[in-house]
Amino acid sequence: MRLYALAVYAFLYLPIAIIALFSFSAGRSAASLQGFSVHWYHKALHNPFVLEALWTSVRVAFLSALLATIAGTLASLALTGMRGRVRAIFDTLVQVAVMIPGIVIGIATLIALVSVFDLVNPWLEPLTGLKLSLGTGSLVAAHGLFTMSLVILLVRGRMESLDPALIEASGDLGATPVATFFQVTLPQILPAIMAGFLLAFTFSFDDFIIAFFVAGSDTTLPIYIFSSIRRGVTPEINAIGTMVMGASLTILIVAQVMLRRSQAQPRP
Amino acid sequence: MTDDSKPISRKAFIEELRRYQKGSVTRRHFLGVTGLGTAMAVMGGSMPALLPGRARAADLGNRVVLATWPNYHDPANFDDFADKFGVYTQVNVFGSNEEMLAKIQAGGSGWDVFVPTNYAIQTYVDADLIEPLDLSKIPNYDPASFDPRFAVAGTIDGKVYAVPKNWGTTGIAFNSKKTGGVVDSWKTFFDGARDQFDGRVMVHDYQLTTIGNALVYFGHSFNSVDPSDLADAEKLLLDVKPHLYAISSDYQPAMRNGDAWLTMCWTGDGKQMHTDMPEIGFALGKEGGEIWSDYYAIPKDAPHREAAYALINFLLDPQVNAKEALAHGYPVADKRVNDLLPEELLDDPILYPAAEALAPLEFGAAVTLTDPNRAELMARFKSA
Amino acid sequence: MAITRRQARALLLTPAGLWYAALLLLPLAVVLIFSFGERSPIGGYAPGFTLEQYANLPSRFAAFRNTLTLAPLGTVAALLIAYPLAYFLALRVDPKWKTLLLVLVIVPFWTSILIRSYAWIFLLGGKGIPALLAQFGLEDIRLLNTPFAVLLGIVYGYLPLMVFPIYVALEKLDKRLLEAAADLGTPPWRSFLQITLPLSMPGVLTGSMLVFILLMGEFLIPSILGGGKVFFIGNAMVDLFLQSRNWAFGSAVAVALVVIMLITVAIYSRLIKRFGASRDDVGLM
Repeated sequence: MRLYALAVYAFLYLPIAIIALFSFSAGRSAASLQGFSVHWYHKALHNPFVLEALWTSVRVAFLSALLATIAGTLASLALTGMRGRVRAIFDTLVQVAVMIPGIVIGIATLIALVSVFDLVNPWLEPLTGLKLSLGTGSLVAAHGLFTMSLVILLVRGRMESLDPALIEASGDLGATPVATFFQVTLPQILPAIMAGFLLAFTFSFDDFIIAFFVAGSDTTLPIYIFSSIRRGVTPEINAIGTMVMGASLTILIVAQVMLRRSQAQPRP
Repeated sequence: MTDDSKPISRKAFIEELRRYQKGSVTRRHFLGVTGLGTAMAVMGGSMPALLPGRARAADLGNRVVLATWPNYHDPANFDDFADKFGVYTQVNVFGSNEEMLAKIQAGGSGWDVFVPTNYAIQTYVDADLIEPLDLSKIPNYDPASFDPRFAVAGTIDGKVYAVPKNWGTTGIAFNSKKTGGVVDSWKTFFDGARDQFDGRVMVHDYQLTTIGNALVYFGHSFNSVDPSDLADAEKLLLDVKPHLYAISSDYQPAMRNGDAWLTMCWTGDGKQMHTDMPEIGFALGKEGGEIWSDYYAIPKDAPHREAAYALINFLLDPQVNAKEALAHGYPVADKRVNDLLPEELLDDPILYPAAEALAPLEFGAAVTLTDPNRAELMARFKSA
Repeated sequence: MAITRRQARALLLTPAGLWYAALLLLPLAVVLIFSFGERSPIGGYAPGFTLEQYANLPSRFAAFRNTLTLAPLGTVAALLIAYPLAYFLALRVDPKWKTLLLVLVIVPFWTSILIRSYAWIFLLGGKGIPALLAQFGLEDIRLLNTPFAVLLGIVYGYLPLMVFPIYVALEKLDKRLLEAAADLGTPPWRSFLQITLPLSMPGVLTGSMLVFILLMGEFLIPSILGGGKVFFIGNAMVDLFLQSRNWAFGSAVAVALVVIMLITVAIYSRLIKRFGASRDDVGLM
């Protein structure tokens, strides 16, 4: 059993080890090792396109996760305890959004937006001088659609497991619905909201397929990696991959430590 | 200190370039002795601007996006361009003209410069996707020094929409250790794929050349859009498909590590592989095939237009272009560049095949790019 | 000004509702409309009403066949590899190591799938594992650009998604049941078949469904490890948009893919209901 687990971990980490190993190669080729060097890390960190792509990814991931979390949480509040046609419609929308392959979402969004832009721009441009085009906006919108559905699944699940008596009691004691929300409901669903936000951020940050179609002239990190890889894998790309993994790992460990601390401290 | 402004002889230039490429001299030294450094000194910038959004050198911005083909540039030239002008080049590579057209058609490609092939330019003009070039911003383009055969497709209705980059052929690269000799016909290529080279042959992920060379196998025109000719080609391709190693326009890695023995191949890739691994050879199909020329063009919605002109102008500088040619191994149509190149390169049979080998080759025809039957045939072949 | 509960709900649902309308319903409607159109002369979309695109679907038979065989196969393979690992993590590991080992399962997920798949190109190529096998006398083994490579790539890529739901299900399992069974003299394999396996079914179904859905729409891994030879529906579709520029036919393929997904997921949901998996488990991932 232990051996088996070891074998599976080896399977999971073999390619990662290769990536990390080659990222320290001194030569240009990513197919053979030529000495040890951190040259490629230096190069990646000074490549303005890498930095810009990273910034685009972070910005899109943050914005889409934020908006998706807000819209998703609001919708979950309304949907909890609701019955009837509207609820059924929303349930279907959530399921369809989660289920449809990213590739279909990406292509459908692309052709829909391009068609809409073609219709709108001839009117908009003479009036305002602005032209709609694909970019950060369409990325945020397309990522948010999927992640908002994840947030709804998470937050609604949490809401439905809440004890309705608590909310009733709060009302009986004279609290306004708004006060009840902030003092009773929100603290209890906060972990689900946070989890939803993190999930949304991770998804957006990592997504290549949807972004590939709707990013327009914007370049996210996965898109940058894709176009670089097509030019031939260099140790620079391996260095970027290693760094992203290292950063994620650090964030995870920090989050874990902070979580432990906040749990260990008694509330005032 | 050497005098930067003193002209340098062609021979000395080549020697310096060789030494530089081997890494025995630094770039600074190279730029200094060849005179390329003068401009750098004038620009006063040896430290590149690293912060996005910080403009340098007169309105150029600090980035330019280039859509081009695999293995088609000397990366050091982009470093030099960044050093000189503070403009970084993002290079995106594509496997076919169709892929480039699709990306532009969908809007917002974000490219500033791209590299269409001769037969594609007409379509871009018809679809209003590119605009005539302002040649005053490309002083390094001297029409008189270009071989008109490889420059003519850039001019449409008397307007210059694109300036020539390189020309070349689409032939066959073979690993002679494995194939046991030269492969110089599409007959051997496609028949061998199903026989002695089973599982070792690659074709392009590109309708023009993959369908074109299958057509040539039957003695049809490389550019045919005749349904019965295309039916022949489809039958052959579907028959060969299970025996192929891969369908991909990026064949160098597989050829170099020995996984593939035979591939459709562009001139420069053939030259690059041959230089590093002499056992890999390059030959033209004797039944025919493609001769082509590539061009630099600027899309209508280019976000960094000035930088685009600066990049094209820089790459057409004969000395820069000579470095490009030495790195990628594609022939140049510019006399001024050829004057700088070493004799052995100009005599290289891969770059400059004998006239009789070139004779049966055809330039791609505009109709092949938009013909729905060829497009669908290729798509069917790939998903078969 | 007081607002009614109804109005409040409408207000709360507005942002999400607009989002769904603009970016889910509208795009799907456009795809549906385009699927009845034609390819414009230079490529792209031309309006029209024809069933031609749907009639042409059989020409992509191989892509549908590959997807419909490799997606279930990949799901089963991932399940078979993931289950013992999840079992080990849930029931056999010292609790002190549990978190670490679990984290180690997800960490690979944070390196771009693109880069990880490219690492497999190196491993499966002639200088990688085949060269190693040649040392043991297994000459001329070709791995890259085969259905096997694609299968390996997808199992590798989606394994963590399978491990987690199963782990969660096994973790919840009341260990006293197993102890009781052992006390009653039940052999371990029997208590596994009669207690552990049935009780972990919700996790198994959730994980399989998740992986299966993702595999049906897969396009990246086949295009990287399949060498353009192993096409999924996703690849056929992307090819129609990015190479042959036939938006109408591409839309028809997209509609077909979505319909197939809806049918298979409906069947799956039935199965899940039957085995009594709760919605929470689906929501968890």
